[in-house]
Amino acid sequence: MAKRFLSFFFIIFGLLVLWMSTSRSCMQFVAEHRDNNTWYGSYQMLHGDLVSLCYLDMVKRFNPPREKIIFKKPANTLTHNINLYLHGDSYTYQVPDSVFSGINKLYWIDRNHGMNYHLDSTKRNILLIEVSERYLRPYFSGLQMLDEVCDSMVKKKKLALGKYGTYNQMIYASVLQGFNLNDLFNKYINQNLQCNLFNYNFMMPLFESKAALNYYAFNRASGDVVISKDRNFLFLKETVSLTDPGSSYIPLTPDDITRLVNNFNAIYDHYKSAGFSEVYLSAIPNSATIMQNHGYNNLIPLIQNNPKLRMKIIDVYSPFLKSTKVLYQPCDTHWNNDGKLFWLDLVNEKLQNPDTN
Amino acid sequence: MTFISLQFLVFFMVVTLWFFRLKNQNGRIWLLLIASCYFYMSFIPEYILILGGTIIVDYFAGIQIEKSEGSNRKFWLVLSIIANIGTLAVFKYYNFFIDNIHTGFLFFGKPLQLQLLKMALPIGLSFHTFQALSYTIEVYRRKQPAERNFVVYALYVMFYPQLVAGPIERPQNVIPQLKEFRPYNWDNVKEGLARMCWGFFKKVVIADRLAMVVERTFGHTAETSSAALFIGAVFYSFQIYCDFSGYSDIALGAAKVMNIRLMENFKQPYLSGSLSEFWTRWHISLSTWFRDYLYIPLGGNRKGEWRRRVNIMVVFLLSGLWHGANWTFIIWGLLHGLFVLILVSKINTGNSAIRKIFSVLFNFIVVTFLWIFFRAENLAAAWIYIKSICSFRGGSNFITLSPAEFIFSLLVIMIMLLREKYLPRHIISQNSRFWIYLFSMVIICYFFGVFKENQFIYFQF
Repeated sequence: MAKRFLSFFFIIFGLLVLWMSTSRSCMQFVAEHRDNNTWYGSYQMLHGDLVSLCYLDMVKRFNPPREKIIFKKPANTLTHNINLYLHGDSYTYQVPDSVFSGINKLYWIDRNHGMNYHLDSTKRNILLIEVSERYLRPYFSGLQMLDEVCDSMVKKKKLALGKYGTYNQMIYASVLQGFNLNDLFNKYINQNLQCNLFNYNFMMPLFESKAALNYYAFNRASGDVVISKDRNFLFLKETVSLTDPGSSYIPLTPDDITRLVNNFNAIYDHYKSAGFSEVYLSAIPNSATIMQNHGYNNLIPLIQNNPKLRMKIIDVYSPFLKSTKVLYQPCDTHWNNDGKLFWLDLVNEKLQNPDTN
Repeated sequence: MTFISLQFLVFFMVVTLWFFRLKNQNGRIWLLLIASCYFYMSFIPEYILILGGTIIVDYFAGIQIEKSEGSNRKFWLVLSIIANIGTLAVFKYYNFFIDNIHTGFLFFGKPLQLQLLKMALPIGLSFHTFQALSYTIEVYRRKQPAERNFVVYALYVMFYPQLVAGPIERPQNVIPQLKEFRPYNWDNVKEGLARMCWGFFKKVVIADRLAMVVERTFGHTAETSSAALFIGAVFYSFQIYCDFSGYSDIALGAAKVMNIRLMENFKQPYLSGSLSEFWTRWHISLSTWFRDYLYIPLGGNRKGEWRRRVNIMVVFLLSGLWHGANWTFIIWGLLHGLFVLILVSKINTGNSAIRKIFSVLFNFIVVTFLWIFFRAENLAAAWIYIKSICSFRGGSNFITLSPAEFIFSLLVIMIMLLREKYLPRHIISQNSRFWIYLFSMVIICYFFGVFKENQFIYFQF
């Protein structure tokens, strides 16, 4: 009887956890409602994404107390006539409207949810494509950005803007409501399962033990993380491997650059003709590109300095490289507060002086 | 869904428990078929249509072969072969063929542009194609009755433990087991789980650790010293063995838990004294497939010495091509064939222990050098790698592992070899010992495993 009960329990539990980890809506709910400071919270976001990837028991060594994100008000904000469409990723996630200069409205568009826009002809509509270097080649080797999937889904679902507050939230909701066969075969299911089954603060000692073993016995980080040559930074492995397209060191061919430049030109022409006043590209270097520049494949400068590139550039690579400040978090794929503010200054300068290049 | 993933562990738990809760075989085969479809679709969902298409063709071809006589039988067999080999040719070999035509025309100064297919290779295509072919051939030979139950036949091709990387089963072994209701058996569950743990150990503790060295040496050949390159090559031999045989252990173990016995695929191949012996111990289900369905029909060794040699070369050429559409695989296969013929070893004859050890070591070195072709990106890279080893040059000795981890790697390789030599079975009769073993293996795999969600090498074939 007990065996019978247990087997039914595990069947139902297994099916439930598989369904939860497959469903994007469910994972969104879990992410939003978990209190990370409790014992059942997730350690994942407490110490930087790379620490959680490698479970490195060197949190204190690598990780200063987590920064409070401080934004400053931009200067020169007398006119607010720009609608900024920021097609970005986690680097610009949750950046408020108020930090951009001369902004009427900011539309942050998650690259993974497709391009969508709703131009207001009374405003200056600017498209800013922010892309972290590790996604630059994988994503822009194709022209997915020309697929305006979500916009058509919104029309099909007849969703009202009012319910969702911002246009962007509405787009996201439309994605969640739409049935997608690929949801059944969610490619992030293993990360989601790990999150649902094991990523709890009370499990942290177990992960730290493994990390300590790897670090002290084998002198390396585990998982997808490597320690920098000066041993002060953690890098995501795919940004330093010689085989991954997102790596700072993978050899490039002239064809690679030509294809990327052609694609950026196609995207530029498409969105200019769709009514955008200007389209900017701002490529954020991998932390390895700046912090361990020797051997860099020069992907960003090769694209930005290509004479055939028509898309306007907000150059981040050169100023970051010249900066004497540390602009990246030591145990995270992302920049630190100084890096983010530095980038915002560069963007605001361009928004105010669009003709400089 | 790779075997080394949380998704598989949860999936396996649900399917197995559900399987034993069902009290009739019809329900069980439906469950396994649906589970196998989900398993396969978790790689690329659309490709189930290709697999489904060939299953339908082969199912009807099998019935028609059984019903027909004379040339009609042959017609249906040929139809089945064309459907299967045709699918393989289009998805696996078309681009290779077109690439070579391009190169050929370019060589004669006449550039030609033919369209290439922009499609990923369906995972495990070579495996299930060969398994499906073995069914229609066996029906044609009247050694296997045509299966009338479509679900059973579809499950024979799609049974998830062996769907994407074998063993390439024979219908006589699997179909009767799928049709028979087999009650829950705790001994089989223990044996299956113990074998799965051993497979996980080989994959995550050994293969994926050695992969770090292999990636480094094959990715930085120019700057790496001969000694480090040699270590990289030797480690690749063990990586591919632990990767593929680890997969097979998990597959056989998962099936065993459900009371289904699949054929053995490996028998300590690196302890072989010759290449011929190596091929009776390595990927046994493939080598016996080629033996039964190609070598013997070609005449085997019954038509004279020269014909035997030609037959061996044909078999190894096709074996190389089966692994991949690349000249590296073709040369790898041909060299194996060539060495099987010219190294008809005298050194492994006799009973002297030293002689045996020498022949095993010599054979291992030959196999290791041939693996370089298998691993390299192209022939030039393979040649440079071999030349660099033989030049005994200096250079970087960096192999990504610290000295402690290097020694640890050698230690786990030794443990693996000794265990498989002296304790090849996975039967643990006492429950307490079984639980201790299971718990220890989980702990060892967790703490010493390298987890990067690496695919199994043989999935690509």
